[in-house]
Formats: sequence, structure tokens, C-alpha cells
Amino acid sequence: MVDFVSRISIVCFAASYAVALACEASRLVFRSGVRGAVMIGFAAAGLVAHTLFLVWRAVDGQAAPLSSPFDWYLLAAWLLAAISIWYTLANPRTPVGLFMLPIVLALVGAATLASREPFLQSPATMVWGRIHGSFNLAMSVSIAIGGIAGLMWLIQAGRLARKQPPTQGFRMPSLERLAHVADRALTIGAWMAAIGFVSGIVLNAVNHQRRIVESVPWNDPVVLRMAAVVVWLIAADAVARAVRRRPDGPRVTAWLSLVSLAVLAGSITWGLLGATQHGVPPAQRAVDGTPSVPAPREAAP
Amino acid sequence: MTLALVGGTHRTVPLDLRERLAFSADQAAEALARFRDRFPGREGVLLSTCNRVEFYAAGETAAAPPVEQLVSFLAECRGLDPRVLEPVLAREQDDAVVRHLFGVASGLDSMVLGEPQILSQVKQAWAIAQECRTTGPLTGEMFQAALRTAKRVATETALGRERTSIPSVAVADFASGVFERFDDKRILLLGAGKMAAETLRYLRDAGARDVVVLNRTATRAVELAARLGARPGRFDELVAELAAADLVVSTTGAMEPVVTPELFAEVELIREGRPLVVLDLAVPRDFDPRIGGRPGVWLYSVDDLAAACNANRRSRQREMPAAVAIVEEETRRFMGDLHHRSTAPVIEQLKAGWSETGEAELERLFRRLPTLDEAARGEIRQAFERYAAKLLHPPLASLRSESRSGPPHGLLDALRRLFDLKD
Repeated sequence: MVDFVSRISIVCFAASYAVALACEASRLVFRSGVRGAVMIGFAAAGLVAHTLFLVWRAVDGQAAPLSSPFDWYLLAAWLLAAISIWYTLANPRTPVGLFMLPIVLALVGAATLASREPFLQSPATMVWGRIHGSFNLAMSVSIAIGGIAGLMWLIQAGRLARKQPPTQGFRMPSLERLAHVADRALTIGAWMAAIGFVSGIVLNAVNHQRRIVESVPWNDPVVLRMAAVVVWLIAADAVARAVRRRPDGPRVTAWLSLVSLAVLAGSITWGLLGATQHGVPPAQRAVDGTPSVPAPREAAP
Repeated sequence: MTLALVGGTHRTVPLDLRERLAFSADQAAEALARFRDRFPGREGVLLSTCNRVEFYAAGETAAAPPVEQLVSFLAECRGLDPRVLEPVLAREQDDAVVRHLFGVASGLDSMVLGEPQILSQVKQAWAIAQECRTTGPLTGEMFQAALRTAKRVATETALGRERTSIPSVAVADFASGVFERFDDKRILLLGAGKMAAETLRYLRDAGARDVVVLNRTATRAVELAARLGARPGRFDELVAELAAADLVVSTTGAMEPVVTPELFAEVELIREGRPLVVLDLAVPRDFDPRIGGRPGVWLYSVDDLAAACNANRRSRQREMPAAVAIVEEETRRFMGDLHHRSTAPVIEQLKAGWSETGEAELERLFRRLPTLDEAARGEIRQAFERYAAKLLHPPLASLRSESRSGPPHGLLDALRRLFDLKD
């Protein structure tokens, strides 16, 4: 059993999610009585493998959840995959996997590009680092869900405006529910981002104060882009609140949620491809303290 | 084992004759009791709906009654001249009966393709026949298989998925696309048109509770509200009622729009941006179409809904080949099983003969080897049984395979002659 679990790789669960996604996409092409079960089967198999992979890393002493950019991405993907399966089981006629599984796969893909080196531990990291990582994780999951709800709202509203009956096998939730989810997700995402960012600043300030080598320069690209993401999310949430009682409020919120997801995705991509000292062990840094350039390693927003 | 069917549907029997031929539940029970007396040992089920009257008969040991006799029987039950029925009633036998019943239960033969009510009518017909004790193993299996086929058609095709009536499409495909639930929504019925009550029925099914009825004639509003279990409102408070409503079903007989853009502008000021679904089922329209362009307003006219209904009907038609393929597959399977059942006596004789011979040989062997203990005897007995089963397997497999394409008379005769089996 131990040998079996230790041999589970990213490819195992990524492939399962990919097959589940293909099953979901086939809803648009043909009907099948067994597709739902096949789709759930593959997604659940992927989630089990994904869980065992994360548990094995923690048990084997390789890395605890959130302890490296690699683990951060995999945990975010795990949460979204679990939510996707739960929602599909509760609402089998809604193709939520078609929207969520691509994000799950993108996060798994991001994990493969991210550094597996654990963030260095200082006393401050033990507390503030965990708060920082957890709230950023919650923010990312929340914004992903909100973005998906926003996209689904726009698709559903388009169908209703064109006065077309629902496409077979592609029944969306109601605008009322989607607007509610998008609105709440944006608010939660903004709060989580703010707390995550502030905790990151506290962490870095403590490390600076104690002259600990892994502190991040205040002008590091990660700090700047996360500040931008936080400002955007707070502004987006404020606008969403302001238009809540306007007839076009749900549409504005749907767009804001979708754009927030795009902003987050852009931030993550920038983080993966750009240079930074955020989360980089001292041994990999340049001697003069400038960000090391070549290795695309930084991951967690 | 034979199956027979006589019956007429909306396609073959004119409405006036269909009305005279139709059976109520009590009349159906009476007819089945008469059938039981007239054709003892035969099975019968009578399916009578507003669109069809069909009598399914079967005989397992004796043949099913001839279809001509069934036509006369139906005519007699309803006091009609058989000569009137003869030209309009269809007659089917054996696999055609099965295919027809499977298609009927799946809604393929219904006036509205894929409509689900027929399935409960088939179940009801079966229940009446069971009460009258005119069912048996053949009709039992056939109707069970019909229900299974209908379930497959419903789950594996989209035949019955899309709705085809304007009120059902309005509620299920459009209003439910905007609102998650209706129990916390205010429904406003504007006018007293025919479709208002039916639309309200679908809304009630979806959970709607708070319903207000407005009519230019106050007494009419009160009367309608009482009939629909709703609350009457005052027509002169139309703006306030529209502002409070979440969903409007409008069916007035007005010749000019009742709700103009100017009037709706007043409504918008006090709605606080809540979405509004308007099902304008009136002709001419009650809501000016420009109101549909306002943000947060989802306005659907009869033409919009009719177009959606037509799209759904076309979609149902596209599912027909898949549904027919399921019916065909299930018919083949059922007939194969039925034909295979007819081979049971021969198979039993064959097995009994081999078993008898085997037992005699074993007894002889055990007498000659008295030192064998129980374990050894058991092993030898099992070896004999396995040997017999292996030898019997090819002819039995051939019988089953042959049964799929019809009654295996040739093989049965060959087995009887080869193994000296008696009829």
C-alpha cells in the first residue's frame, strides 16, 4: 500500500481530471446515460490520488501543505476539485466541471513550474507565514469560484436575452444564484486578499527587523503585484456593493468577478515567469541580494 | 405463447368514435372481467386514454384470442357494431405487439411526442388488469419490459426533456433561469386570460405562494383570485403592484399595451434594481416590447415562448431515431427471452434424462467400490455433474442463440429426436 501511494504522481491525478473534463465537454456533443457516472468516477479517482499525493508528501516529511509554492498550488487545485465534485453530485445537470476543471488543471500545471523548495522557516514564518499562505489560498479559491459564477451568469443571461431554451445537457444555475455566488465570492476574496497581504507585510517586517536573510525587498515584484491585486479586489468589491441595488448590478458584478479572476491569473503567470526573492531560499539567491533571474520558481501569489 | 393487440389511436379513429369506444376505469374493469370469463386461461390488459383504446391479449399455454374475436369483444363491451370498428382498429401479433407497447409506453406514439403522462396511464391499465386477475406471466413480463424501455428512453435520450407547452416553457426554461426559487417571490397575474391559470399551476409546482391578481373589473379579480387561491389587488395600484412583483404573468384582453415605457419608468424608480420577469401571454401584447430592453427586465411574449416550444419540438424529433433504436433493442431482447422460455420443457427433460442416467451410473460405481469414503464419493459426484454440464452447454447455448432470431423449432425437433425426448 505504502509503495503504491508513494508511486502516485502528478500525472495520475492530472490525467484523471483531464478525462473528467473531456466527459463534461462531451455533454455539448452527445447524450449518454453513463457519462455522469464516468465523469464523477474519473474526477473522484483524481481527487483520491491528489489527496494521497499531498498526504504522502506530508507524512513522508517531504513537505507540509502550503510549505512551498508547489504545495500551495496543489492544495488550491485540490480544494477546487473537491468543490467541483461536490457541486456536480448535488447538481448533476449543471456542467460546473466544464468551468472548474480547467482551472484545476491550470493550477496543477502551475505547480509543475513552481519551486518545490520549502519556504525557509523563521519564528515569524511559523505564525504569520501560515496566515499569509492560508488567506492567500482562500482568496484564490474564492476568486476562482466568483469568476466562474460570473462567467456562467453572463452565459445564462445571454441565453435568456436571446430567448432561447437551455442547450441540452448545458443547464446553468439561475441568475439569482449565480449573482449571489459571484457577489459573495468577490467580497470574501477581497477580505482574504487584504488579510493575506497584511499578514505578508507583517511577516516581512518582522524578518526585516530581525535581519533575517529570507526577508523580501519591499519593491519585490511579488509584493507590488499582490498590492495591485488587493487594491483591485477591494475596488471591485466596493463597486459591486455600490451597484447592488441597480438593475444592471448583477451584470456589473459578474464582469467584475470575471475580470478579478483574470487579474489573479495574470498575477500568477507573472509570478511564475518573473524573477523574485519571495519564497526563494537564500542559497538560491544572488549574492548581492538581487532577485535570482533564471529559475522560474516563485509561485504562490 | 402468442401475443395479440387490437386498438385504435388518435391517428386512426375519428374523435366521435374514439369517445364512444373509450373506457372509464370501472368500464375497463367490467370488460376485463368479461374477458376472463370469455377467454379462460388467457391474459388481457386494456389501455384506454383520451387518445387511444388498445387491448393487449396473451396466451402462454393456449394461444391468445384471434384478433377478429378481440375486435368483436371490444365492440360488444361498448355496445358498438363490430363492422364500424373493423376498418379503423389496428391488429398486431407477437413481436409487433411488443414493439408497439414499448413505443407507446415511451411516448413515441403520443400526440405530443415524448409526453410522460402515457407511462402512468400504462401503469394504471396494468394495475386495473391485475385487480381483475387477467394478467399473467406473459403480460407481466411484457409490461415490466415496457416500463424499463420507457425509463431507458427517458434517461438515454432527450425525447421528453424539453417542454412543449407555452406555460411550462415559460416557467421551466425562462423564469427558472432567472430565479432560483419562487416561494419568496411575488407573482402578479395581470388579467384573466386562459393561460394565466395554467402558468400559475406550473409556478405553484415550483413553489410560488404569494400571488396577486389584478383585473380592470374588480369583481372579476376577486372571483379569479378565489378560484386560484390568490389575493385580489386593485388595478388602480398597478404601478405599486408592478414595483412589488418579481414575476408578472400578463393575459389581459386589452387592445393597447397596458404597461408603457412611461409607466414602467415610474415602476423602475421604486423597484430598487430587483430583476423582473414578465411573461406577456396576451395578444395583442400587454407590455410595450421596449420594456424588454431595460436592464434587469426579462420580457417574453407569446411569440418568443412559441419559438422556444417549436425549437424543443424539433429537438424531440431529432431524438426519435435513438428512441426507436432503444425500443427495437428491447423488443429483440424480450422476444429472445420469450422464445427461449418456450425451450424450457425440452431443456428440463434433457437435464433430467442426463441426471437420471448419471445417478444410476454413480450408484453402480459406488456399489462396486464400497471402500470409498464420503469425501471421495462427493468428488466423483461433482466430477459427473461437471461433465454432464459441459456436455450440455453447447446445445443449450445454441438454443439460446437461435432464440434471438425466432422460435428455435428446428433445434428443438432435432434435440427431441436425438435424445428421444417426449412432447
